[in-house]
Amino acid sequence: MIRRKNKNPFDLESYGGEKKTINYDFILFFMVLAISSFGVIVIYSATRGTLPGGVTDPQYYLKKQLIYLAAGIVLFVAFQFINYRKIERYWWLFFIAGIASLAAVLLFGYEVHGSRSWIDLEFTTIQPSEFSKIFMVICLAAVLSKWKREKEHRITFKKVIISLAVSLSFMMMVLLQPDYGTALIYFIVYICLLFISGANFLYIISIFGMTVGSIFFAFNAGYIKQYQLDRILVLLKPEAYPDEGAGYNLFQSKLAIGSGGLLGKGLFLGKQTNLSYVPEHHTDFIFSVIGEELGFLGAVIVIVVLGVIVWRCFYIASVSSDSFAMLLGAGVGFIILSQVIINIGMTIGIMPIVGIPLPFLSSGGSNLISMLLGIGLVENIYRWREVRKEHEIAYQQFK
Amino acid sequence: MNSNIRIRFKILFYLLVMILIVLILRLYFMQVMSGELYAELASESITREKTISAPRGDIYDCNGKLLVKSIPVKAVAVQPNIVSGNEDVMRILSDCLGISYYKIKKKVEESNVSYMDKVIIKQDIDTASVIYIEENSDKLPGVEVVDVYLRQYKYGSLASHILGYIGEISEEKLKSEEYNYNYEGGDQIGLGGLEETYESVLRGKKGKVVYEVDPLERPVSIIQEKEPISGNDLYLTIDIDLQKVVEESLYQSILEVRQKKIKDTDEYYKVTGGAVVVLSPGDGQILAMASYPTYDPELFVGGISEDDWNNLNDPDNHYPFLNRAISSFPPGSVFKIVTAYGGLNEGVITEGSSFNCAGVWYGLGGNFPYSCWLKSGHGSLNIVGAIKNSCDIYFYQVGYGLLKKLNNTEELLQKYSRIFGFGSETGVDIPGEDIGLVPDKEWKEEYFKDQKENAVWFPGDTVNMSIGQGDLKVTPLQMALAYSVIANRGIKYRPYLIKEIRDDEDVLFTGGSAEEYQDLQLEKDFIEIIEKGLTQVAGPGGTAYSVFMDFPVDEIPVAAKTGTAEFYGKQDYAWFASYAPVGDPEYVIVGMLEQAGSGGSNVAPIAEKIYRYLFNID
Repeated sequence: MIRRKNKNPFDLESYGGEKKTINYDFILFFMVLAISSFGVIVIYSATRGTLPGGVTDPQYYLKKQLIYLAAGIVLFVAFQFINYRKIERYWWLFFIAGIASLAAVLLFGYEVHGSRSWIDLEFTTIQPSEFSKIFMVICLAAVLSKWKREKEHRITFKKVIISLAVSLSFMMMVLLQPDYGTALIYFIVYICLLFISGANFLYIISIFGMTVGSIFFAFNAGYIKQYQLDRILVLLKPEAYPDEGAGYNLFQSKLAIGSGGLLGKGLFLGKQTNLSYVPEHHTDFIFSVIGEELGFLGAVIVIVVLGVIVWRCFYIASVSSDSFAMLLGAGVGFIILSQVIINIGMTIGIMPIVGIPLPFLSSGGSNLISMLLGIGLVENIYRWREVRKEHEIAYQQFK
Repeated sequence: MNSNIRIRFKILFYLLVMILIVLILRLYFMQVMSGELYAELASESITREKTISAPRGDIYDCNGKLLVKSIPVKAVAVQPNIVSGNEDVMRILSDCLGISYYKIKKKVEESNVSYMDKVIIKQDIDTASVIYIEENSDKLPGVEVVDVYLRQYKYGSLASHILGYIGEISEEKLKSEEYNYNYEGGDQIGLGGLEETYESVLRGKKGKVVYEVDPLERPVSIIQEKEPISGNDLYLTIDIDLQKVVEESLYQSILEVRQKKIKDTDEYYKVTGGAVVVLSPGDGQILAMASYPTYDPELFVGGISEDDWNNLNDPDNHYPFLNRAISSFPPGSVFKIVTAYGGLNEGVITEGSSFNCAGVWYGLGGNFPYSCWLKSGHGSLNIVGAIKNSCDIYFYQVGYGLLKKLNNTEELLQKYSRIFGFGSETGVDIPGEDIGLVPDKEWKEEYFKDQKENAVWFPGDTVNMSIGQGDLKVTPLQMALAYSVIANRGIKYRPYLIKEIRDDEDVLFTGGSAEEYQDLQLEKDFIEIIEKGLTQVAGPGGTAYSVFMDFPVDEIPVAAKTGTAEFYGKQDYAWFASYAPVGDPEYVIVGMLEQAGSGGSNVAPIAEKIYRYLFNID
């Protein structure tokens, strides 16, 4: 729309004589498309034999994931037509939407594994905490970026306080569910955003210290439940808990991945995962399926692809022309990176077992669609950056 | 973008690369370096192995009549190490199976301290229980429904001592070398009779399934399957119809004799047991073998109850498990054929040698009177008459003659006893055979080693032994074998019960092969002299004449000998040994009744009835 509007007075070819480039990061786009499609196949492998949740159609999860993928791509494309600067301007709308949806889940949601994280919308279920990851990044990017009246981008005490308030609001809402895993992701993303925004280390250290202090307090006051603690203990000494809960999950996951060997047992041939030995093998433990069926080689390829996606997010953020875009791009990268590390880390026993999905791969619409939205934002930054930059050049030349 | 942020991005990039490298290194360690270990662990954790029991072979009689059959049923088995201590599981089982909780608990806990991997709680459970247990498998860890085979006895307690019974393998057996291999807890094994002897033939080969299970232990796929091979079938030499006649005659006679009083007293005969053997002398086939009291092998099907077991082992019930046909007793006069043959063979007597019987014999001195059973004496007798009348005094003198002949350096009477097969196993193919006792100097010295004055072989010992008294002990089967040696003119066959072993198609084994006989090189003339005497026993004036009065001995001559053995502290043991028809012997029949007085009047009727059946005489 804006592009068309700009076409006449600020047409690149008419002013610069430079050849017009297509302003998309195709590496990012195809990597995301590839990993999401691959996720659909792995989910099919994980669910076609043993059907979780009383499902009878072996292609149930395959079909569902395909629909989510299609919906995500449609949203992704649609997002490209909105200039991210509009998003910056109306960031508070995302804040309200995020908090409202998280409030709704507390009121109308239903519980799975002891957390009230889901809303049933009849035709599908959604997990607002997934979308809120993106919403929170938008809000934090807006708060921490250069404000209009500022001459240059600085992280002031005021900004830190506002950003802390924003992220605490999101965190408290998910802690009430309670979903400690997602809250942890929010926290990591917030700390990383503070870091990349150029904030003084003093702020970062004091916020980090305050958080650790309040967790310690919360534990002493009995707000942290025993099973949460167990998961950490299991990580430290998994062989002590091989039969129950997290110890069992971890043991089975390690068996599955380890038994995959160098080349894996072959797609659709993973026994540990296909026979449901690994719990949640189509959602949180999808990486066990990959490790078992595709072996070390497959797992490394997946990690590298995810790494490239994160790298592209950071790259796009670093070459963006304003601080909001930079923080937005980096924020999406942090969301993906932190979830990749914690999720894969927990399946191979180097991270505690917290229930968070693997971006683009775990089954579930909210995860996939919110991740595609995030990538949509990054692509948006890239696309509008070019236009803005060229626009400015053209404008200056015009002046 | 200011340089501060640019540096932070650089830090971020290196951090990203480092984290990815950590993840990949960890994966390399797990998948490439320890992959095989994990793969082994993984496959162990999801594969299960289950044995499939093989149907036990059936048992048929000589005419192909089915005696014992295997029928498949469902049974509840538990793994004691899992179930022990789990009260809920045991309570559910108790309700479902109708067995008391404490019984289950006892069985499980007894097995848990031992090394049994699996015990059967109940066999032959109904379909409703099977469904209940399978549907509630999540509440019943360590409990499973298994296929087992039960024995079905078509003729009830008939031939039970021959057939034996089966039961759950005991812990000791499971540990022993013989059973260690191929057996597991809960297995049924033969515990007596042919079931025990032919265990390896009957049991077949277990099958095996290796399968994968899901986390709820539900089988999902079969990796390897080996079908069980059913056991081979036994075809016996026993004729079940004859066996029935034999057992019924034995039982009838026992009931009748129990009505009789000992002469000149008010005491009834106790008749605590008895045995009959019907042997085919020409090949050693055992056609019937009965022992009383008997037991019902059905009691063992599905595990014998404690009450039944105690009952069977109660001394008041005279040990029903004991197969009296292969247990030893003092033989009395039926043994005299050995003394007779020894005397003739050693030249102590000839056919014409006569001795006078005055009712008492003082051959060992005036202080040692030896009396004849007939107090009035038999007068002058030769060997034929002595057998016919069972004159003790004649045989005292033969025995004494044998003793004197080599100054008892060679123990001739013992030698002939052993030639006729006493004191050693007959080799019959059922377990528990008693070898009896042929007493001699060596034995006596050993037996009385603490009583020096008795540890000497006295001439009186030989004299006693010559009429089958003293410490001599023989089994009815040994006696039948000895009479078949007479009937066969010196050829001794190994008695046997298995005619054939068959699988589904072929005969795998045929019993009683030609090599299994032994020519004892006996003097035919002497045997004929003895046979002449034996033939007269059933004739007029013989000791069994009263019983065989109506029997057509002219057409079917019967060679027989009666016996009444004294047993210290008990009533007399009654014997009857015989074969018929003389000249072309087809059957040897030996009977024995414990504490039943005279063999002539009390055991001979059993044999007479059996001969009537065998020769179709009304």
